[in-house]
Amino acid sequence: MVPPRVARIVSLDPATTEILFALGAGDRLVGRDMYSHWPAAAERVASVGQGLRPNVEAVLAQHPDLVFLYPSQDNRGAAQRLRQAGIAVAALKIDRIELFDRVTRLLGRLVGDSARGAYVADTVRHTLDSVRAATRSQARVSVVMPVWDRPLIVIGGGSFMSQLVDIAGGRNIYDSLPESSPTVTLEDVVRRNPDAVLVGPERSMTLRANPSWRAVPAVRAGRVLVLDTNVVLRPAVRLGEGAVSLARLLHPLHPQGAH
Amino acid sequence: MSRSHWTMLCLALLAAIALALAIGTIGYTPADTWRALTGQADATTTLVIRELRLRRTILAALLGAGLGISGAALQGVLRNALAEPYLLGVSGGAAVGAVLAVVAGMSYAFVPIAAFAGAALAVALALFVAHAAHGRADPRVLIMAGVVVGAFANAAIMILLANASESRVRGAVWWMMGSVADARWSETAWLGLYVVVGGAVLVTTARSLDAIALGEDSAAGLGVDVDRVSRRIYLTASLVAAATVAAAGLVGFVGLVVPHIVRRIGASGHRTLLVASALMGALLTVLADIVARAAMPPTELPLGAITAVVGVPFFLATLRRLT
Repeated sequence: MVPPRVARIVSLDPATTEILFALGAGDRLVGRDMYSHWPAAAERVASVGQGLRPNVEAVLAQHPDLVFLYPSQDNRGAAQRLRQAGIAVAALKIDRIELFDRVTRLLGRLVGDSARGAYVADTVRHTLDSVRAATRSQARVSVVMPVWDRPLIVIGGGSFMSQLVDIAGGRNIYDSLPESSPTVTLEDVVRRNPDAVLVGPERSMTLRANPSWRAVPAVRAGRVLVLDTNVVLRPAVRLGEGAVSLARLLHPLHPQGAH
Repeated sequence: MSRSHWTMLCLALLAAIALALAIGTIGYTPADTWRALTGQADATTTLVIRELRLRRTILAALLGAGLGISGAALQGVLRNALAEPYLLGVSGGAAVGAVLAVVAGMSYAFVPIAAFAGAALAVALALFVAHAAHGRADPRVLIMAGVVVGAFANAAIMILLANASESRVRGAVWWMMGSVADARWSETAWLGLYVVVGGAVLVTTARSLDAIALGEDSAAGLGVDVDRVSRRIYLTASLVAAATVAAAGLVGFVGLVVPHIVRRIGASGHRTLLVASALMGALLTVLADIVARAAMPPTELPLGAITAVVGVPFFLATLRRLT
């Protein structure tokens, strides 16, 4: 189904967009979803709106020969209609770190540069390996990662973030839950008693303003670590950078990940 | 209702509140719980019991009391066994306000205010339509106007959520399912004010409600200004319901089911019915909140879903006995 030489691509998945740019195929992007903001060059590509249940007409208007959809049940209808219009469609699931490796190599082959695909995948893998090695000897820091307040949603074991924390010498207290973003009670967070709370800059403000969180000993002790959400947002090209910044956050006294 | 009924109802409510303080994800002993309440436990225990469990239990009790008394008053004034605050557009209006605030990314402090404003607008709209149609608050027109305002609100919510990001949709849906999980003292205090003042106003209208139950003409014959007193009851009950929605989102079926339960255990006059509905509403909501947080740890279930799951079978059983 995929044409031998892909010239016009629409990416409706931010992680795929990132990888395409890293593979040097950014100039072939003729459309993106509204949440594909990185790298900065992506902003110059025309947005065709939502990545979930996309506007098929807006996608067709860009005359693509390959469309990447966000992998979701909701996108089945769109995939079918695009295929009927004779356009190659792929939905690449990248919610785990090992999948990033596979998808990057696959995308390299798709855009006709498998060497570059392998290079990007190997670079990220090498960085992750070195961070893992550097933090191996240190005591694990247990963390909770709240992402939403009402209801209280945290990062679960199904998320790549849990893996990244593990690589960076930490342990997600909810890594045994299979969901990627389960709803939990604050009392259960208290019961699991994490060493620290790991949050994005915005959430750290709401967390400090919410008196209920003071029931968590780590919060009372001021151990609220603020993530660089620009780097650790999705499982894509910046995974290596993300692991380095997380490791520095969790083990501030040990300069690991330095090459 | 006999004196023993009252005693049992009050004791059951106190027992439910004690249970709500004792039960949770962390297994504290009753002695630990007591020490935490009296400020003699370690910091974590004290904060868990006082800030997490006590706060949400008080909010749940006030929420249930407000919905129960509001439902009893509305069923009386509209002379309709199906009447409850949510049927009359209160919930829909509040939901539009709250969802608008969530989708716009406003601070959580604004959500209750927006919800209250939305509810008040919806109530005013339904009342205005009913007046325009008949020149007075006709119960049938009021119910129809409320239902239609609710439908309009649903449509508005769907449009608001169509383009919202995933986490905001989740937050908005959670709000619509109702929860006391993140109770704040300020919200609880506001709700307490509305429930106490609104409840007192409603109890003073109990005699008029008894007269209205005999029919509008009979009530007028007894010297009741039916139109004026109806409007006062309708507005007060709606404002109390709006305050509950602002504090804890949409918790369905309490307002509908509680007055029926209370009638079943023998409440006849409206004075008894209103006060007993407040107590019974508090009891049911506190129990439902225990289920919401203890049924599937570490996940918390939405309170509004639990009250509906308990309320629907009960209501169906009541219907079967009536016919």
